[in-house]
Amino acid sequence: MIEDTIVGRDLGTITFPIDRSKLMELSRSFFDTDPTWHDPEAAAAQGFAEVPTPPTVTTLVDHWRAGGALETAASIGADLNRLLHGEASWELLVPVHLGDVLTTRGSITDVTRREGKRGGTMTMVTIQTEFVNQRGELAARRTDVLIETGA
Amino acid sequence: MQSDTIGPLSRTDFVRYAGAGGDFNPIHHDELMAAGAGLPSVFGMGMLHAGVLGSRLARWVGPDNVRAFSVRFTGQVWPGDELTLTGVVDAVSDGVAQISMKVTRQTGDVVLTAKATAVVMA
Repeated sequence: MIEDTIVGRDLGTITFPIDRSKLMELSRSFFDTDPTWHDPEAAAAQGFAEVPTPPTVTTLVDHWRAGGALETAASIGADLNRLLHGEASWELLVPVHLGDVLTTRGSITDVTRREGKRGGTMTMVTIQTEFVNQRGELAARRTDVLIETGA
Repeated sequence: MQSDTIGPLSRTDFVRYAGAGGDFNPIHHDELMAAGAGLPSVFGMGMLHAGVLGSRLARWVGPDNVRAFSVRFTGQVWPGDELTLTGVVDAVSDGVAQISMKVTRQTGDVVLTAKATAVVMA
């Protein structure tokens, strides 16, 4: 059961690296074998001073949660069998590159409910996460909406 | 954006993304768990096709030029699906492009809609 009282809950801070092996794995999982996404020399040959990252690179933080990507969902009382990812958005303020170290600040910002089309009450939980880089710059702000469908 | 097609997607593709992106929700790789939840099979993480679309966007406009990327998941992706990724520029003003994108299954169902803004290189 997701309670309304979780609004405002601090989801804590995690510090994690943007490292080459995970960038290689991420680009392969995106069906892209171009080494520009993980190799400094290949990136330089394409005119990039730093190895670039795809817009969803901040997902790598999930490796650094003790309970993995589901840790947050479980902690807010969601039924994982009825949980869907509804929306995700990123404001990308400072580019993230290979070698960066990001620190998150996350919180629950909203819980809303409405009657689902297939019966039962849907619960929508909004989570905001900020990613600050090793220079103290706010690099990205991510917003997720998780949906727990009706029982 | 030059349209791109990926798939047919396999369970291995889902597992590869689990290892890369860190989403080990068993509903994406454990067939027994998926059946227990009343599903016909495991299904793909939204962040997989969102990530693929994001990477194609980055390649199109330049990775450091993407300023915002937002996705709505409108349908599930199943093993065997072939996904087509498309994107168009809706408007450009003050050097910033407003972009609309979507991911469509082979059935014609749209599984993801996306909006992005990007700085346009001079």
